[in-house]
Amino acid sequence: MDVILSGLGQGFAVALQPFNLFLVLAGCFFGTLIGALPGIGPINGVAILLPIAYSLGFPPESALILLAGIYYGAEYGGRISSILLNVPGDAGAVMTTLDGSPMAKRGEAGRALSLSGVASFVGGSVAIVLLTLFAPALAAFAVKFSPADYVALMVFAFTSLASLVGKNGIKTLLAAAIGLMIASIGVDANTGVMRFTLGSPELMAGIDFLVIVIGLFGMAELLHLVESYARGTLKTLPVDSTFVSWADIFAVKWVMLRSSIIGFIVGVLPGTGASVASAVSYGTEKRLAGESGKSFGTGDIRGLAAPESANNASASGAMVPMLTLGIPGSGTTAILLGALLLFNITPGPMLFQQKPDIAWGLIASMYIGNVALLVINLPLVGLFARLLTIPQQYLTPMIAVLAFIGVYSVVGDPFDLYLAVGLGVLGWVLRKLEFSLAPVILGVVLGNLFEDNLRRALSISGGDWSILLQSSNSLILYGLAILVVALPIVISRMLKARQNKAV
Amino acid sequence: MADRIFAAITLLIVVAYGWAAFMIIKAPFQYDPLGPESWPRILSVLAGLCCLWIIFKPDVDKIDITHNVLVRLVIMVVLLLGYAYLFEHAGFILSTTGFCIGAAYLLGAKPVHALIFGAATGIIGYVLGAKLLALNLPAGLFKSLF
Repeated sequence: MDVILSGLGQGFAVALQPFNLFLVLAGCFFGTLIGALPGIGPINGVAILLPIAYSLGFPPESALILLAGIYYGAEYGGRISSILLNVPGDAGAVMTTLDGSPMAKRGEAGRALSLSGVASFVGGSVAIVLLTLFAPALAAFAVKFSPADYVALMVFAFTSLASLVGKNGIKTLLAAAIGLMIASIGVDANTGVMRFTLGSPELMAGIDFLVIVIGLFGMAELLHLVESYARGTLKTLPVDSTFVSWADIFAVKWVMLRSSIIGFIVGVLPGTGASVASAVSYGTEKRLAGESGKSFGTGDIRGLAAPESANNASASGAMVPMLTLGIPGSGTTAILLGALLLFNITPGPMLFQQKPDIAWGLIASMYIGNVALLVINLPLVGLFARLLTIPQQYLTPMIAVLAFIGVYSVVGDPFDLYLAVGLGVLGWVLRKLEFSLAPVILGVVLGNLFEDNLRRALSISGGDWSILLQSSNSLILYGLAILVVALPIVISRMLKARQNKAV
Repeated sequence: MADRIFAAITLLIVVAYGWAAFMIIKAPFQYDPLGPESWPRILSVLAGLCCLWIIFKPDVDKIDITHNVLVRLVIMVVLLLGYAYLFEHAGFILSTTGFCIGAAYLLGAKPVHALIFGAATGIIGYVLGAKLLALNLPAGLFKSLF
């Protein structure tokens, strides 16, 4: 406990420096702004703004605080387009549209927006407290992880990804494999051998992480917007003067608390982020509500509060494995992890000891950001909602301009601009074919770590593969991996059997 | 079908990747049991199996896209490639102005509005990006002016 308190104290000392405090607020504001734009979810927002934040030349803790602020802000802002436009910014916001949009249609947009703001705040706060309590303990435990344990952890991360994310597990696995293959391009650090560079000097250092992120997310998003424009324009519902009442908040207090805890746990699981968290909590609440749960989907405040609490809680939960193990809990935290690597900071169990300023500064900034978001969001929601009326024809080209500025100012090579456009087309095709993109970016980020640990483990054992199954840590992780694959199958069978009986 | 085509193309790439991993990549000398080729070999087998599975059990039948949408997407990609080409050659201001005019017009803005929007984005973007935030942006033809 002492460690946590002194850590937090140190963190607040970093986060409350005027410049960092300004960055938290700026990040939250711009994050909400970009999250509120129709169709642009947190992952795209962070992807588009990351290179710019990087090239501003801030110290690492400041840049990270800014990015984290953008991340939370975008999670908050995403609900605005879900509720008013019925267009979810990303997969995590789909559940919010189910009850949020009907409420707006019946003239309660203000109530829906302010209630979801409060729910987001509760979710975020519960998760940050849990993060503060558990992260240092997990880090202390993970310090003892051997390379073989890390291999097991990666296997667990990718199996839970394949089992829980997307409709088709094999497609998710292939997406992750594509990411891992992209990561293997370039010079092999151990031996200096060229791999898959096709003789091109541009590929020797591998494909820059920023280019991949901008291409797969920013550019693909742009093509997606062009497509949705060509299919017909989006219609915005106006914000009215209705507001959330204390009675509403009291009515959903347990819903918010339960959903926050579910969201946090799902967020901590490697690879699964807001989309799984909001779906699980929505389903749970609907089942718990029993007979009265029939109104879910028609504008029930419980159905709005549950996914909003859960997806903000999972946003903080996803930070736990990223900070303590160096394994991101979601697509967006994978991008944040990439940002840390750009600053030559390797997240992992040692982060809390070696760079306490960064680890604790980030955590403290999350506390501040969460409060700031509530304060920004409740009164200013009308302003953000007006953003939705920015015509697509100006918004869409701006994304490309921001993306190009980002790529060029960091990498400074026109070759990477072409590469980003090409990856954008690939990302668009993958999305059309119902692949999820988060596993690709997770593969890219974790590729080298996975390979290095496998090679290190086998070097220790002198080439004996059985080292992978020797420690109890790795056996437990493999067991969890099997469980993650088996449980959803068993549960869906059981539900089916019960339904058959009922009929 | 769309799934199958994508999986087949990916399989071809994976086979090429695997061929390189199994046949070409080799360290001249190494001390570790796993060389630079082992990891790509594992990946190529895994990705290949996934592709085969999708070819046998596809789930997206057809990409739902009309001719009209596709044409606009292709024009957008061409505009982006042109933007990428001109970015360094003509500099940020000119390339951005040109791209924004084209893209806004493509998405249904009135020509005059597109023109104003393009010029404003190019100039304001450069002043904000290169001057205020000190980002590395190509000045191009306007080098002498700034």
